[in-house]
Amino acid sequence: MSDTHTESRTVFAIETREISKHFGAVKAVDRLTLSIPRDGMTSIVGPNGSGKSTLINLLSGTLPLDGGMVIIDDVGLKIVKAHETPAHGLTRTFQEVRLFDQISVWDNIMVVLTNRRLFPALVERVKPSYREKAKRILGDVGMWEKRDALAMNLSYGQRKLLEIGRAMALDVNTYLFDEPFAGLFPQMLEGVKGILKEMRDQGHTIIFVSHNMDIVRELSDRIFVLDSGTLLAAGEVEEVLSSAEVIEAYLGD
Amino acid sequence: MLRRDRASEGLLPAPFQLSGTQVLAAVLTVAAVGYISWKISQSADQALQFAFNGLAVGAVYALLAMGFTLVYSTVWFFDLYYGAAAALGAYGVFYLRSQEATFGRYEVSSVYVNVVFAAVAAGVVAWALHVGLYPRLRTRFNRTALLALGGLLAAGAGAYTGFVLAYPGVLNVMLSPAIGLLVAIAAGWVLYRGSRHILAGTSSVPSRVLATAAAAVLGAYCGLLVANAPGASLYLSWGVSCLLAGAVGLALYRGLYLRMRERARSPLVMLVASLGVLLALTAFTTIVFQSAPRPLPEAFGSDPWTVGGASIKGFSVFTIGVACAGFIALLLLLKKTSFGKAVRAIGDDEEVSKVVGINTTVVIAIVFFIGAVYAALAGLLSGHDTAIQPRMGLLLLLKGWIASVVGGIGNLYGAIVGGFLLGMVEQFGIWDLAGEWRDAISFILLILFLSFWPKGLLPRK
Amino acid sequence: MLPDSHAYRELGRLARNPREFFRSSKGSVELWVNLLVITWALAFMLWQGAGFAITVATIFAIWAILAVSLNLVVGFTGLLSVGHIGFFGIGAYATAILTSDPAYEQLRTEAIPTFGWPFFAALPISIVLAGLVALVVGVVFNRFRDDIFVLVSFGFAIIAFSVFLNWRGLTRGAFGIHEIGKPQLGGWVLDSETEFLALALFFLALAVLISWLIVSSSFGRVLTAIREDEKAIEVFGYRVVHYKLAVWVISAMMAGLAGGLFSSWTSFIDPNSFILLESILLISIVILGGLATIWGSLLGAMAFVLLEEGMRFLPFLPNEFIGQARQIVLGILLVLLMLFRPQGLVGRYKL
Repeated sequence: MSDTHTESRTVFAIETREISKHFGAVKAVDRLTLSIPRDGMTSIVGPNGSGKSTLINLLSGTLPLDGGMVIIDDVGLKIVKAHETPAHGLTRTFQEVRLFDQISVWDNIMVVLTNRRLFPALVERVKPSYREKAKRILGDVGMWEKRDALAMNLSYGQRKLLEIGRAMALDVNTYLFDEPFAGLFPQMLEGVKGILKEMRDQGHTIIFVSHNMDIVRELSDRIFVLDSGTLLAAGEVEEVLSSAEVIEAYLGD
Repeated sequence: MLRRDRASEGLLPAPFQLSGTQVLAAVLTVAAVGYISWKISQSADQALQFAFNGLAVGAVYALLAMGFTLVYSTVWFFDLYYGAAAALGAYGVFYLRSQEATFGRYEVSSVYVNVVFAAVAAGVVAWALHVGLYPRLRTRFNRTALLALGGLLAAGAGAYTGFVLAYPGVLNVMLSPAIGLLVAIAAGWVLYRGSRHILAGTSSVPSRVLATAAAAVLGAYCGLLVANAPGASLYLSWGVSCLLAGAVGLALYRGLYLRMRERARSPLVMLVASLGVLLALTAFTTIVFQSAPRPLPEAFGSDPWTVGGASIKGFSVFTIGVACAGFIALLLLLKKTSFGKAVRAIGDDEEVSKVVGINTTVVIAIVFFIGAVYAALAGLLSGHDTAIQPRMGLLLLLKGWIASVVGGIGNLYGAIVGGFLLGMVEQFGIWDLAGEWRDAISFILLILFLSFWPKGLLPRK
Repeated sequence: MLPDSHAYRELGRLARNPREFFRSSKGSVELWVNLLVITWALAFMLWQGAGFAITVATIFAIWAILAVSLNLVVGFTGLLSVGHIGFFGIGAYATAILTSDPAYEQLRTEAIPTFGWPFFAALPISIVLAGLVALVVGVVFNRFRDDIFVLVSFGFAIIAFSVFLNWRGLTRGAFGIHEIGKPQLGGWVLDSETEFLALALFFLALAVLISWLIVSSSFGRVLTAIREDEKAIEVFGYRVVHYKLAVWVISAMMAGLAGGLFSSWTSFIDPNSFILLESILLISIVILGGLATIWGSLLGAMAFVLLEEGMRFLPFLPNEFIGQARQIVLGILLVLLMLFRPQGLVGRYKL
């Protein structure tokens, strides 16, 4: 899918124009405007409660916008519908891993591959191409041996990997990863890093939220720092992370 | 090039844009208000009559809804047992007073029923003693002796319950010792507290003896009064059936729901389990009492009064009063007591409540007890108004459930408002339709409400 | 064809090496349940002889179609619907009215519209009608979940019952509709019990086949994902509401089919066959048998029917209490299952 796009597009994968989200009196995201370029890896950081996850939820349509506009793949949207985001070339993972617990690992991948249209799906059986792709992805994330286990019986790290694998199976341009490294053992951490790097090298846009500054430094090409729902700083990693106000926002938390 | 989607080209600025559902909701509300005012203009007397009826049935729904709300705001599931509790409340009265109800034609007394309820009572008393007194006393006294004494007390309570159920004809005599004892204990407690206040902390032996004697005399007098008032049996039977239904509710929590919660079962599992309980208890009631509708004996105030061209029964006024009193009692309980604080804390976060030292099991058990008592009260009050039949529980349950959802799930004010609103809508709804449509009307109200105001009238904060 | 591969594998093991099989299966509830119910059914047939067994088998077939259809909604999609009896009733009434004989109906005091259609013309229309009602109901119900869905589905059952009871001009209310015609193929009237059983079993097989095709298709896999996490599956490009609506309508159409069969089989229907209690019994069957397996629904329906017929021969139980006693047993079973086995006897999904 990713190869079909032509050079006529802008350089931005996702832009936002003054988007807002309020929970009662709390402004989780407040008139936020940012532009995330198409190439490379982008990280979104910020103190706890700075609106990172809310931003991801707004971009992916999991939460409705209170105001503003999201531009995904050059299409301006005032209402982002979750089920339309893959058509715009976007998918995501969740901070609290959300797998389909009571079905098998295999079906967790397969469910993403099948026909989106209702009536064709009704008569569609498992196609060899789906099977091959699921096999490849389960191999990539190292879950092939576990394919018959129920997702609820996996360990936390395995669940995290499977969720990333499930997103990969969708094969879109832009991936939003919400805390993909949180709570992982060092070995698995390396695995996830490797997967993300490989996806970047294949030309996908990777946007991730993380608390781990070492990983942010290592992986990301650029960085957006959020604080209280607004954009505090954006740009090259070292430059941003050494700026006084960013340090202040983190330490003053 | 930026393509814009259609939603961004609204004709009005954002604050003035109304969604389709909001417009529809407004139209429906206006239509309902218009219909009612048209009806009132047609016949004010009849409108008043329907309003009275609506209040009377609404009171029953409100009672049920309060029980639901109390439980729902604590453990987040609807205990469908309350349908059976409503039927148990009504049939308890019938069981104890069937002779008066049917003028001696039909009397029901079953050893099995007596044994079952005796066992439930014994179990609940044993549990209450075990969690209430045993931890405090076990360091001071011999544990074996305490357990034996507790067991004996529980067995005694069970046997007493069995006897009360077995001799309903002399219910007032059977209950008089218990009432005398309760009054004596209450009076003794008040007198001790009072004497301590008056005598500024010094409680001398003579004053203690005096207080005990006074309490005993008062208790004995009350017991005698009750024993000599055969007419009081009906009202005593209300108390007995409410307590028994409450005891069953508590036992179900302790024996069933608590175990499920320990196994971290989802609320839906508990809902289905309580559906099973409802199914079994409804069938049990049908076997004991048969499915034909039965009357309850006539309570006071069955002669209608005429108020402004409409007639209302004194008993209906009483029902409305009970609902309001029940609401105020529950409100005071929740707002003013430490128990109420504990209930709210558990509703907010059960784990944290455990950590800060609230005995969640006991608090939730009492919540289930209170909810079941309210449901039983609703059942017997509606039973006095109409006839009773085993299936009444299911319908009352659904009405109470609807009322609590329409009013706002988990909000006590919502429960009483929802109950009366549902009663009114049902009554005004059948003005032009046949009365048989009222169940359908209440569900249509529910579905409309949920579609436009999914959180109900007064959402929980 | 056994619809469930797991049960099939187990039976295969039994055939190959009985002794080893019994040793290893001591703890397997599923297997013992399967064996128990099937043995019971066989024993019952041998004991009662063909005549009565045919009646019982027809009742089983109708309940089984209902249970299989409801399992699509409850077990595979995770919507705990207690209103399914409404669609059953719609199918039953539609078939009854469409096939009603004008010559006979004119003699009755309260007239209802008569069509005099043959059964096999009326049945598809009834199914479509149940589907259309389900479409409307589904559009409204789609936004509800969990316990609120339970409540509104109760509501659907109540509203449907009220309509059956009170729309006298169409259903003749509490008097019911009599003399509903038997199915007719060309000149061949299926009026014997055996013939009707064959027809019912044919439709049961059809329902099982369709259900199996659905749950093993891509559509079915998406349904299970919807059951697990609606929000998460939306992110992957599925319109959850459409999927839920589709399975709801399909399931309702199957229930309508069962209703059509039922009205033709009993040749008399009144609203009492479609009360809320029946609906609660139906969901109990589905949960008892097992959520998210077709075989479980068949097993549940069989256990349910046999439970009633088995109780008929308990010496201490008076005949008029059989229905109630069954209800008590079912209620207690439901409680025990929720405590120890929330997926049902042979289920694949825990509530």
